Amino acid sequence: MMTREDKDILAAEYAMGLLAGEEAAQAEQLLADDEEFIAMHVRWRERLSEIDATATKVTPDAALWTRIEAALPRAAKPQIAKMSSPLPSPLLRLKDLWDSLGFWRPAGLVATMAALVLAAGLGLSVREVGRQPVLVAVLMTENNQPGAIVNVLADGRAELVPLGDIPVPAGRVLQIWTLWDRVRGPVSVGLAQSARRLDLEVKALPRTTATQLFEITLEPEGGSPTGRPTGPVLMKGNATTAL
Amino acid sequence: MEQQDPTAATDTSLADALARCARGEQQALRQIYDSEAPTMIGIAMRVLRRRDMAEECVHDAFLRIYQKADSFDPARGSPRAWIYTIVRNRALNIVRGEARTDLVDDFEPIGLTDDSENPEDAMLRLSDARSLKRCLETLAPVRRKILLLAYMHGLTHGEIAGKIGMPLGTVKSWIRRSLLSLRECLA
Repeated sequence: MMTREDKDILAAEYAMGLLAGEEAAQAEQLLADDEEFIAMHVRWRERLSEIDATATKVTPDAALWTRIEAALPRAAKPQIAKMSSPLPSPLLRLKDLWDSLGFWRPAGLVATMAALVLAAGLGLSVREVGRQPVLVAVLMTENNQPGAIVNVLADGRAELVPLGDIPVPAGRVLQIWTLWDRVRGPVSVGLAQSARRLDLEVKALPRTTATQLFEITLEPEGGSPTGRPTGPVLMKGNATTAL
Repeated sequence: MEQQDPTAATDTSLADALARCARGEQQALRQIYDSEAPTMIGIAMRVLRRRDMAEECVHDAFLRIYQKADSFDPARGSPRAWIYTIVRNRALNIVRGEARTDLVDDFEPIGLTDDSENPEDAMLRLSDARSLKRCLETLAPVRRKILLLAYMHGLTHGEIAGKIGMPLGTVKSWIRRSLLSLRECLA
């Protein structure tokens, strides 16, 4: 059994290009299916690429671009929406998004504003007596459009309210996650075949707090096999105090 | 000097160009080429030593960048690290497969290289603002040099052992210790 340190050093050695034979094969195996190793490798690549940036610049021969251009596929690639793409390779897994403040922050700001507007303006299903949300999270899509709302009610229950249709390819489901503890990582709070109102399974979790993150990913039928998000993130947002 | 390069692209503009490549815009690939190709040829030259092979390597790297642009995820790292990893991996594959034998013979013994790509120059060019430089400086000079040479020229443990005439096991544990102190310093 490898310690975390062993693993991190193996990731460093692989990122350096030091490994050959069996050791290289072991690293490649981990790179194919070990989330922790993938994240470690990405971090080392990020650090070591600073050395690449010091390489002496060499002006390319004028013919180089011509050759590249000639070898490119002739027709523009069709636009494929991210969410209809086939199962992502392990390297594309987006678990690390949860740890990336930079990724969340802009959406969080927009989401706060949108939350105020939407919570005030939309006739949401929670407008019944006693069901006023105390927290609202507006989940924003990649294009910064509000895609769904998570309402957290005074009694601790939480519900997902989609704001529009969410295309779900055959064989895939929507999985809703929340993160209140970075150490524990994201926890699944619901699965849905299609965009519909959904009570989220938050009873077993600590009470939802302001700024807590919610996101929806596309996962194989039955939900993520690893218990962690593996598919593309469709939308995400932080909870904010409702007016 | 190189910081003021007018063609230097920001992370944001590179990430944006990759997103446009993913949508099939060849213009965006050209934009990446204009800002990154010279450094990429430099990266490939460190490993391959030959200009013609380095250009071939960069050629392949650009096709791959275009093909794989939709898998670039800005949340997982900078576009530059992603691009440089592609060209470096391509160079390593070339040197370790197709052309290994003739290239290995061309290598000067470690420490005797007199080209501009020496580790101390690379150290000087590392950004003072980033921790990598500071952390490399905490290593003993000879360890730092070996680590940088290994990285720049894409050497394996075995190749380093051969060059400095030390047993493989010793080289491995030596580098491991260097990486451990780097890891601790960078944490």
